[in-house]
Amino acid sequence: DANGVTQKKFKKFESYKRDNQFPSRVADLVIVVDVKASTIVLPIMGRPVPFHINTIKNASKSDEGEFSYLRINFLSPGQGVGRKDDQPFEDANAHFVRSLTFRSTDADRMQDIAQQITDLRKNAVRREQEKKELED
Amino acid sequence: MESFERIHLDLSKQPGKCRIAETGLGWKPSGGGDTFTLDLNNIGGAQWSRAAKGYELKILSRTSGVIQLDGFDQEDFDRIAKAFKLFYGINVESKEHALRGWNWGKGEFGKAELAFNVQNRPAFEIPYTEISNTNLAGKNEVAVEFSLPAGGAETGTNGHLGGARSRGHKAGAAKDQLVEMRFYIPGTVAKKEKHEDGEEK
Repeated sequence: DANGVTQKKFKKFESYKRDNQFPSRVADLVIVVDVKASTIVLPIMGRPVPFHINTIKNASKSDEGEFSYLRINFLSPGQGVGRKDDQPFEDANAHFVRSLTFRSTDADRMQDIAQQITDLRKNAVRREQEKKELED
Repeated sequence: MESFERIHLDLSKQPGKCRIAETGLGWKPSGGGDTFTLDLNNIGGAQWSRAAKGYELKILSRTSGVIQLDGFDQEDFDRIAKAFKLFYGINVESKEHALRGWNWGKGEFGKAELAFNVQNRPAFEIPYTEISNTNLAGKNEVAVEFSLPAGGAETGTNGHLGGARSRGHKAGAAKDQLVEMRFYIPGTVAKKEKHEDGEEK
C-alpha cells in the first residue's frame, strides 16, 4: 500500500443482491454456471446456493460406474495458494466450505460444467491480473 | 382450509396439492398416489424462504424431521401465515438467505439441521436425516457424506408420494446430486489430533 507495507487485502464481491436475480434454470435443481454474475449456483437440499467464482479454486470431473462426479474445490486457508498480497476471503477464522462433490448420470453435461467453471475461473484471474498491472 | 396447487414435497419431481387445514397439513401428488399428512401436534415451527421452484414453506416437525414444500408464490405468504397462526398458533418465520456467494461463514447446529450462515444469514441448511456419514478427513477438515439411492434411475421417480421421500434422500431428488461436502474448521482441532498427524508422517 501507500506505506510500502504489503498487506493481505480482501476485496468484497457479491453474487446477487436479490433472490429474483437467480437464473430461471435453478428451478430444475441443477448446477448452473451464471457467467454474467461470475457465479456458480449449486443445488443444496432444494435450495439454489450461489458461489462466486472468486471463492473457487478448481473443478474436476471423474467417472465411476454409471455416474460422473464433479468436484468443486474452494479457496480456504491452509492451502498455500493465492497471491501473496491478496486474500480471497474476509475472515480466515471463519468456517469454510472447502469442497462439494456432485454426481450425475449425464457425463457430457458434467464435463461441460467443469470446463465452464475452469474457463470462468481463468477469465476472472486474468481480469484481476490486468487490473493489477494497470494499478502498478 | 387453504389449498395450493403445484407444490413439491421434499423436492419431489411430481407436483401436488398442498392443504393447510385445522387438523394438520396434507400433500397429494397430482399424478395420484398416497397422500402425505402431518398432524397439527407434529408441527413445531415453520419458515418461509426462497427456494428452487419458487417459495418454500419449511416445517420443523416434532418427530419427522424437516419437511420442505416448494413452489409457492411470494403472495401466498399471507394466506399461509394466517392459517398457521389460526390453526396451529405458529408464526411462520420469513428467512432471507445469503446471496453473496461466499464460502466462509459459520456452521451452526440447530435442532433438525445444520445451517451454514454467511453474515448471519443462512446460505444453506442440511437436515441431519440427509447425512449418512461424517469423518475427519484431515487436519481441520470435516467430510460430510449424504444419503443417496443406489441407482440413479430409482431417484425420486417412482416412489410413493409421487417420488417424494419424506425422510432422507433429499439430495437424491436433484438432477445433480450432492454426494459430499467438506468443511475447513480452523483452530478447533485439539492438540491431540495434531499429534496423531505427526505420528502418521
